Amino acid sequence: MEVKPMVIKAMSRLLNYLGLATAYIRLNWHAHLEYRGAFLSQLIAMLLNNLMWVAFWVLFFTRFPVLRGWTVQDVVTLWAIAAAGFGLAHAIYGNALQLATLITQGQLDVWMLYPRVLLPHLLLGRMNATSWGDLLFGYGVYLGFVHPDLVHFVWFVGLTTAIAALFVGFSVLTGSLSFYLGNASALSEQWRFAMLSFSTYPGTLFEGGIKLLLYTLIPAGFVAYLPIEALRSLSWIHAVWTIVGSIAVLGVGIGVFYHGLRRYESGNLMEMRG
Amino acid sequence: MTAVQLAHLYKTFTFNRGWGRQRKQTEVTAVDHISLNVPEGQAIAFIGPNGAGKSTTIKMLTGILHPTAGTATVLGQVPWRDRRTLSRQIGVVFGQRSQLWYHLPPRDTLELLARIYDLDPQDYRKRREVLVERFGLSEFWSTPVRKLSLGQRMRAEVAASLLHSPQVVFLDEPTIGLDVLARQELRDLICEWNRQEGVTVFLTSHDTGDIERVAQRVVVINHGRIVLDAPVSQLRQQYLSEKILSVQFHTTILPFPILSGVRQLEATDYTLKLEIDTRLMPIEQVITQVLQAGSVADMAIEDPPLDAVIAHIYTQPAEERSP
Repeated sequence: MEVKPMVIKAMSRLLNYLGLATAYIRLNWHAHLEYRGAFLSQLIAMLLNNLMWVAFWVLFFTRFPVLRGWTVQDVVTLWAIAAAGFGLAHAIYGNALQLATLITQGQLDVWMLYPRVLLPHLLLGRMNATSWGDLLFGYGVYLGFVHPDLVHFVWFVGLTTAIAALFVGFSVLTGSLSFYLGNASALSEQWRFAMLSFSTYPGTLFEGGIKLLLYTLIPAGFVAYLPIEALRSLSWIHAVWTIVGSIAVLGVGIGVFYHGLRRYESGNLMEMRG
Repeated sequence: MTAVQLAHLYKTFTFNRGWGRQRKQTEVTAVDHISLNVPEGQAIAFIGPNGAGKSTTIKMLTGILHPTAGTATVLGQVPWRDRRTLSRQIGVVFGQRSQLWYHLPPRDTLELLARIYDLDPQDYRKRREVLVERFGLSEFWSTPVRKLSLGQRMRAEVAASLLHSPQVVFLDEPTIGLDVLARQELRDLICEWNRQEGVTVFLTSHDTGDIERVAQRVVVINHGRIVLDAPVSQLRQQYLSEKILSVQFHTTILPFPILSGVRQLEATDYTLKLEIDTRLMPIEQVITQVLQAGSVADMAIEDPPLDAVIAHIYTQPAEERSP
């Protein structure tokens, strides 16, 4: 009986949050466009960087057409999904990459003064310029190189969104270490770097202990294997595991953040937003 | 009605030093059983030297930090438990933390804040107009914050904290780094808001001018404890027994005698400035001596600057403090 009002309330909250997120994205764009030259050069540099890697793989596959069952198309799809997922995550939730520093320097204070759920609000506060380059590259290379039909493209969009959630969760998880270790900025960055590196190599390359690692501590398996398999044969089982893995990483990230928040001790550093 | 209530509020921070068996935990008490009531509409200055526990107290009262022990309520709500609900009713300005977007004009931040606080668009526009007019924001309304002077930025900062019509405003060193004129402007605005809108003001500052101009009551804390709680008007009159006596003479003055509790700050042929400790020497006896020293043209008895009063409170032993 009370389910309907609850659903309406949840929907209204979601719409309200989407409105807020849109306002932040707009403001973040304005802030970045204050220095449009720097912004565009960062964006283009990231596009070129990713393209160079794809060019490397294309050259590789001209010599070895199949690598453990994967073709050049699969590897390009992998790069497209990883880049678009990472890009989408941090183009909107750019503060996820800054979380360790924000905690260490006591900069959560300002965010705690607003009548909003802390984490989803805090993450919106910054946009990562290069992430837009990743996002554009991901979609561009998938459409331009793989030439998907509509169904594959819809699956790609869905899987990219799931991967974005995974990257947000992972960035939140690594950043939240600062609650426990004091200054975990460097560790957080290295852990994220390991995740990104493993996310851009074919998942079929790894076996045994490393494979276990790729579904636990460095959950790159949810980026570099499952979604590619899902897209190759429109496999629901792989798609569902991708989504389950993403939700799990996001859940762990959120859990660790709020557990750590109890240990937050603020600070007195000078700070400006934007 | 009470706006802010603290009962034995206590906060410690734990620091770990060393490695392995040498590892030791050190506990530092930042706030030591503070109890305090602030009625609605009052402007209170919460002052103390660096590290006294002022900012930690404000952070607990705004829900940022959890206390180690004790309780506090702001507008009847427990800040660290009801943080989100309470944040709609309080405004906070940290002098060292900005909520304005550095690369964007104040206009954009206010629009975002309206969205964050879910303000009705019509109410927001009305409130914005009032704030723009009262805080003189129109002259830099469309200028990116990075191009504003510190005084303009702080005006925008305080205006932003008032956008959602809070009932209590916490101002943590709002005039830090401002020049004399900007400080004066900001004090007047805070004062005006407190008196006309009935907003409760909880102010921390190192600037005694802020305290004199804005607050009706002063609470001094040191080492996390309240060492004085008194009306500002009474602070100088009742607390410190020293007075400054400045005298001008028509004629050259005779040598002034050495009196217990009286110190000559300045002496020329026609002027004399004395610091009198009235606990040791009644002021009328000093005046009698002054009248014998020459023909008096003018005389003024002044309180010492509030800076000196505060410094004296910080250094005075606890048993001598008498609010």
